[in-house]
Amino acid sequence: MRSNDTSEESPALIRIVVFEPPGPPNETLAALDRIGAEVEFSRCTDLETCAQAAADDEVDLVVFDRRATTEISAVLAALGASAPPSVAILDKGSPESDALEAFRAGVSDCVREAGDYAEVLPVVALEQIRRWRQQRKRAVADRKIAWLERYSENIVQSINSALLVVDVDGQITLANSTAGATLDADPLEMTARSIDEWFPSSALEPSLVRQTLEKGVRFRGAETMIALPGRDAVPIGISCTPLLDSDGGTHGAVAIFQDLSEIKQLQQQILQQEKMASIGQLAAGVAHEINNPMGFIHANLYQMAEYLDDLDAYLEVVDSLVETANEVANPALGSVLGRLAETRKRVDFNFLREDFRKAVLESQEGSERIRHIVRDLRDFSHKGNAERSLADVNQCVDTTANIVFTMMKHSVVLEKEYGELPELSCYPMELKQVFMNLLVNAYQSIEEALASGSREAAIRIVTAEKNAGIVVRVTDTGVGISESDRQRIFDPFFTTKEVGAGTGLGLSTSYAIIERHGGHMTVDSEPQQGATFEVWLPLDPVAASSEAP
Amino acid sequence: MTRVLIVDDEPGIVASLRRTLRKEGWEILTAVGPRDALQILQGGAVDMVISDYQMPGMTGLELLSQVTERWPETVCVLISGWADSMSEQKLREAGVRTMISKPWDDGELKATLRTLLSS
Repeated sequence: MRSNDTSEESPALIRIVVFEPPGPPNETLAALDRIGAEVEFSRCTDLETCAQAAADDEVDLVVFDRRATTEISAVLAALGASAPPSVAILDKGSPESDALEAFRAGVSDCVREAGDYAEVLPVVALEQIRRWRQQRKRAVADRKIAWLERYSENIVQSINSALLVVDVDGQITLANSTAGATLDADPLEMTARSIDEWFPSSALEPSLVRQTLEKGVRFRGAETMIALPGRDAVPIGISCTPLLDSDGGTHGAVAIFQDLSEIKQLQQQILQQEKMASIGQLAAGVAHEINNPMGFIHANLYQMAEYLDDLDAYLEVVDSLVETANEVANPALGSVLGRLAETRKRVDFNFLREDFRKAVLESQEGSERIRHIVRDLRDFSHKGNAERSLADVNQCVDTTANIVFTMMKHSVVLEKEYGELPELSCYPMELKQVFMNLLVNAYQSIEEALASGSREAAIRIVTAEKNAGIVVRVTDTGVGISESDRQRIFDPFFTTKEVGAGTGLGLSTSYAIIERHGGHMTVDSEPQQGATFEVWLPLDPVAASSEAP
Repeated sequence: MTRVLIVDDEPGIVASLRRTLRKEGWEILTAVGPRDALQILQGGAVDMVISDYQMPGMTGLELLSQVTERWPETVCVLISGWADSMSEQKLREAGVRTMISKPWDDGELKATLRTLLSS
């Protein structure tokens, strides 16, 4: 017994509560002391103290020493389900029915205070304690297992990444809620479905998960696309690890992934912003350098045109001189006149005179164009030294629309739907430039559509208050914009217009202006379906910019 | 005779401005930089100084503010390739009456300068 005791992992100290009889002491304590290990007794003589002492978690055993059944059941009832084992010591002369009643009251065992009870009691007590301690250990272990299960389940469910576990055949065995959300499915219904439903895979191009399953390849932070029914493919970042069994074979895979759509979009935006900023700097530098030589080329061309006028005036007199001289018969004069006529023919004087003027005029036109490009460039990177002021955006839109409308040669239906707007703190001139640009573009697109047989010709302007800001939407029935053009439409120098018809700076300048207002501009269009440009301007640009990531 | 001094370190600009103003009947003086300009002015005041902004040694704005200080009667005109970086206030403080950006429009330029000189 003793050796058994010491092999137990439980604490060596044994705690026993003894509910003692009021009468003279018997051999109980001495007998229990014989258990072998160190024993600590809590001795009680009344019901309350006994119930209280026995409620301690550390108590290994309660001994009811010759107590009435009513008292036993009262103590055990107070202790409830978590009661430690108890042994009742029955009076020497008590009837057999007392034992039965004690068991009914809930004691674990009974010992009669008979001749050898001092020998029996420690054995019985020890057996109860051993069982109790084993049971307690198991309960603790069970609780720990349950806790661990909940713990890992919590982790799996609460991680912000989608998590999928698949078996060797690629069937999903576990999906967390983020996986469900990302893949547009109920995570519980996903189990037993094939991973290939979302991660398209073929023999030639196996999906990353398939590669992990088939070749044991690990991926970390790889990028791929997933297929969702009825939606565009979604870009994700994924890590894939094979699940290995003890002999190193793959019996499944774990995939952790995240939807990258938003990040990709942000990246695109940042890229665009960076591009704008660097182009702006470049533009400022280039414009300055170009303006110096352009200054005198431009001025000289105008002077040359004036010089030509003066030359013409002079040559007119020369012409009449020649005419008069031709009538005079003088050999010396005749030889000079002959040389003059010969030279005039050789250099093709009439053409030269005419073409000189043409060349100058064309150069003037070219120089004028460069001047405009440089001015647009300057506007583009212009920081704007004008003060912000409160303006009625509807009015900005309307005056601009009226100016553009008078310029329209074809009859275009102009629909206006102005919402009630609060005043906006902005740079009104700059905003008008943006609206002008959008309206002119809309008109030009409609012109192009009309030329290729379209019958519709309408521009619709809508303003409204939206998301703590103001929205201005310009929709046209023009030729629309292809997907590839849409990607580059806000890029500086990108133009679909004929050479010379546009500098390709209009929309990028507009984009930069809207950005300076803390807003954004988007385009929605399909080829042949017209286009809608939407500008959003925040009422509080500071708040809007601090919210932006 | 009205005397006009053109200051620019870019010979092309000086030459083309001189061409543009040739028929105005003014005496055109030219300087290739601020120092050169101040030396010419010390030799005799002029009615108008047209100066470039970006020049080695001293900006046109600094030159013109010196001109304004020493010859308050002189009309100061600044000419620049990049109009943005100058605030109205700075221009006013330096006594700049008008600013012309390169490339200029010949007709406009002549009209502006005529008005400034006749006032």
